[in-house]
Amino acid sequence: MNPGFRILIILGMVMLGSATYGQSLIFPRAIGMGAYGSSVKDSRAFTANPAGLVNIRDWDFSTATYTGVSTTDRGFVFHGLTFGKRFLDREALAFQYAPGTSLTLTVPPTLSIGGSNTPVSNDREITYEEPFAIGFGHAFSGTLSVGILGRLQRQKVMDTQFEIMVRDTTVYPVTSKVSYEAHAWLGDAGISWNASERFVIAVVGRNLIRLGETLLPDAVAEYRLSPTTSVELSGAYIASADLRLVGGLATDASGALGCEWTPGYGLAFRGAVYGDQNETPFLYAVGLSAGWSYEFLEVDASYLRFTSQEGRSGVINAAEFDPRKITNIDLNPYSRDRISFSIRAMFGNVRESLARIESVEMYSAVYPSSFEVFAYRPIGKARVRNISAKPIQARASIFVEKFMDMPTESQAVTIPPGGVADIELNAVFNDRVKDVAAMTIRDASVYANATPAEVYDDRAPARITFRGKNDWDGSVESLRFFVQPDDPDVLRASRDMLLQSRDAKTGSGSEPDAFIRARTLINAFAGQLMYVSDPKQSADFVQYPAETLRLRGGDCDDMSVCFASLLSSIGISTAFVDVVPPGAPERSHIYLLFDTGLDPKFGASISDNPKRYVVRKNREGMETIWIPVETTVAARGFDEAWTGGAQRYFDDVEVGLGLAKRWVRIVDIN
Amino acid sequence: MKTAFVLLCSVSLVTISLAGEIVVQKIQGEVSVRQGVTEVWNRIAAGDVLRPDDTMKTGVKGSAVLLVRGESGEAKRITLPQEVIVDLSDIRDLTQEELMLKLTMEKVRSSSYQWKNNELQIPRAAVVHGGNVTSPEGPAQNDPAVGVFRLNGTRVLFENGFYSTCALKSMEVFRLYPALGRKFENRLLVAEALGKARLRGEALNEYGSLLTLDGLSPDQQDLVKARMAELKR
Repeated sequence: MNPGFRILIILGMVMLGSATYGQSLIFPRAIGMGAYGSSVKDSRAFTANPAGLVNIRDWDFSTATYTGVSTTDRGFVFHGLTFGKRFLDREALAFQYAPGTSLTLTVPPTLSIGGSNTPVSNDREITYEEPFAIGFGHAFSGTLSVGILGRLQRQKVMDTQFEIMVRDTTVYPVTSKVSYEAHAWLGDAGISWNASERFVIAVVGRNLIRLGETLLPDAVAEYRLSPTTSVELSGAYIASADLRLVGGLATDASGALGCEWTPGYGLAFRGAVYGDQNETPFLYAVGLSAGWSYEFLEVDASYLRFTSQEGRSGVINAAEFDPRKITNIDLNPYSRDRISFSIRAMFGNVRESLARIESVEMYSAVYPSSFEVFAYRPIGKARVRNISAKPIQARASIFVEKFMDMPTESQAVTIPPGGVADIELNAVFNDRVKDVAAMTIRDASVYANATPAEVYDDRAPARITFRGKNDWDGSVESLRFFVQPDDPDVLRASRDMLLQSRDAKTGSGSEPDAFIRARTLINAFAGQLMYVSDPKQSADFVQYPAETLRLRGGDCDDMSVCFASLLSSIGISTAFVDVVPPGAPERSHIYLLFDTGLDPKFGASISDNPKRYVVRKNREGMETIWIPVETTVAARGFDEAWTGGAQRYFDDVEVGLGLAKRWVRIVDIN
Repeated sequence: MKTAFVLLCSVSLVTISLAGEIVVQKIQGEVSVRQGVTEVWNRIAAGDVLRPDDTMKTGVKGSAVLLVRGESGEAKRITLPQEVIVDLSDIRDLTQEELMLKLTMEKVRSSSYQWKNNELQIPRAAVVHGGNVTSPEGPAQNDPAVGVFRLNGTRVLFENGFYSTCALKSMEVFRLYPALGRKFENRLLVAEALGKARLRGEALNEYGSLLTLDGLSPDQQDLVKARMAELKR
């Protein structure tokens, strides 16, 4: 058993013995289902559990009326109306005006005077009412929400007082009315937890707070209500798509069981039984309800029948009256049979949701050096469920404030009714990502929407890690994004060096131009750049070429990136040689190849030893001669860098078969 | 951890089956060696110990006898006739899998990372402007004589049973010296080496491509067909 569920049950059992189940009788849906705390989904009867308010989609309005069924009842009575509004995505607010939530009891006169001139009146009339309530709900997640509620409770006693008057010789009584009133704001709190797809559990604490409380005077103290703190536990089990079973328990072993059956066509049928160990019989009431909904309208009707009518006439015996039995103005030992009707209307964004996000998974962090790839490579996925009864075309979108100009929407995926699909998320970031100096975590929003809708059916939060602009994920494919041949500093540096060395061109006249320029450039930087370890002593830190030029050095990946940028800036194609020795990834290394553009049959014009160069295809598909350069020794000049690179390549690729065995990879940059 | 790494490296080296030690047992005439990726040929003498990344060359009327001792201790004597260039790293046995991988790499040649279809691809301009039109005179072609020396080296590999490296080295030579790759007997050597290396399909492909060579005599055609029939059996 789920530990949370176990705790809730234990909590409910511990609390047994102190209060009455608090049912709201304003709305037929609540009457027909009995234990309503776990089934609040709109502003109707939200006093049963304000946590359920978070299910309101936008504007929600409802009103209800009722009539008694006995001959002494006076016809339909306006019970009340409610307004609800969702805002800020996770919050909802509701207000209830319910003049009908009122219990009026009369105490018959204890003094009887005969004669035609004798005034006749009730001795006392006691009214308890809760005309106003305001509730607020907040959803912590898709499964957990909380709510708070304030109820204004009024207590009124109208006392009839007699005074014996003497006029001339005539003695007669005169009656006068004296009114006493007390009120208090009572505060409740509720929690609603979707423990699983089928279970909903709700806990509501009643009368947790009392504000502005005034008491009835001592003269009528016997009618004083003293609300006590109590806890109600209720649960709902969604047995199938059209059947919902509910049950509730209060802390004096009263409670209710109910169900709701929705066979389709907008119809709903409900039934509930109410039990209380202090009532005789134990099952003291039955509620039946039916409803019909269409588009934004919903109408309901209900019939509440108490199995025993004793004490429910509205007239009480002052000697036997015990106000402690009244813990709920609507449902108490003095409540009467009733037929209720209600209308509910939704406005604004009231479209029925077709899809729900079950989970979101982010694959990787965002590296500013390569943020563009997420336009085409998924950054994560959203698991979306079709919660409608028909196939849908679902899309998912992701948005990160500041780093995206607008949400990036995925391709549409068809999901059958009740089915689940993983929709991959792409993200088009803006250039602000490049300004992230150090690793930071930002909140992202993932949305799902389904056709034919134009709005989001659901929204889920997600977290995205943005790495610092110099961070590198260690993949050589990503390293190429640090190469910036068009950086102004790189362009200026390479051209300055070529200009300064234009008179120092050496070598045979048959050497290819690209080879000469590369040699000139690397030699020119020989005295200016040197190998130094990462400043952060971290393998995942890479300098941009302008930074390496400014800092005059870097480690193997910094130097490879820098020389690749310099060579590319003068039109020479380059490639990284990524070496990850099997079993020794800590000895990974990167060096550079550059394309001379020379046909292999002219290789001798560069070197007599074919081990000093590599024959491979360039991007045009032509086999050309590429020169390996060990950039970490470039400080000692081109020849040493070439010899070092060639030896490494020969050892790694020709002797070690690294390329064939895939522990050496060559990644084209340009 | 360190021990494990050393062991792993050792295992890896055994798999590659590089020669453990190569000693020059006897030389005659002009024989020289070039170390690693350097460009200078140095004379050698009998008794010199060579490294696996060295390259040996025998001149006109030059010859040498090498004693190659494997990792397991067994010794093999290899005679280099005149006018050969041999990379000593080729004196080794490759497994069939290694040979297949190398052949695949030879065919692809460009082993670079390919842009994935779903990644950003910015089309390149079909026409490249800005090329240097004042480039100097064209480079000289590779010396064909050196190509012949190197091809002779591949025959030494074949004759000493190093069929895999013979085939691979021949292909490399043809790339640097295309004219040699158009000669029937040279291509036949590759096909035979592949056949001997028990790569039947690769050998058949090579024989098949031999038939497409220009100027093949009927005898040469019959020879190729006979070899193909033999392989298909």
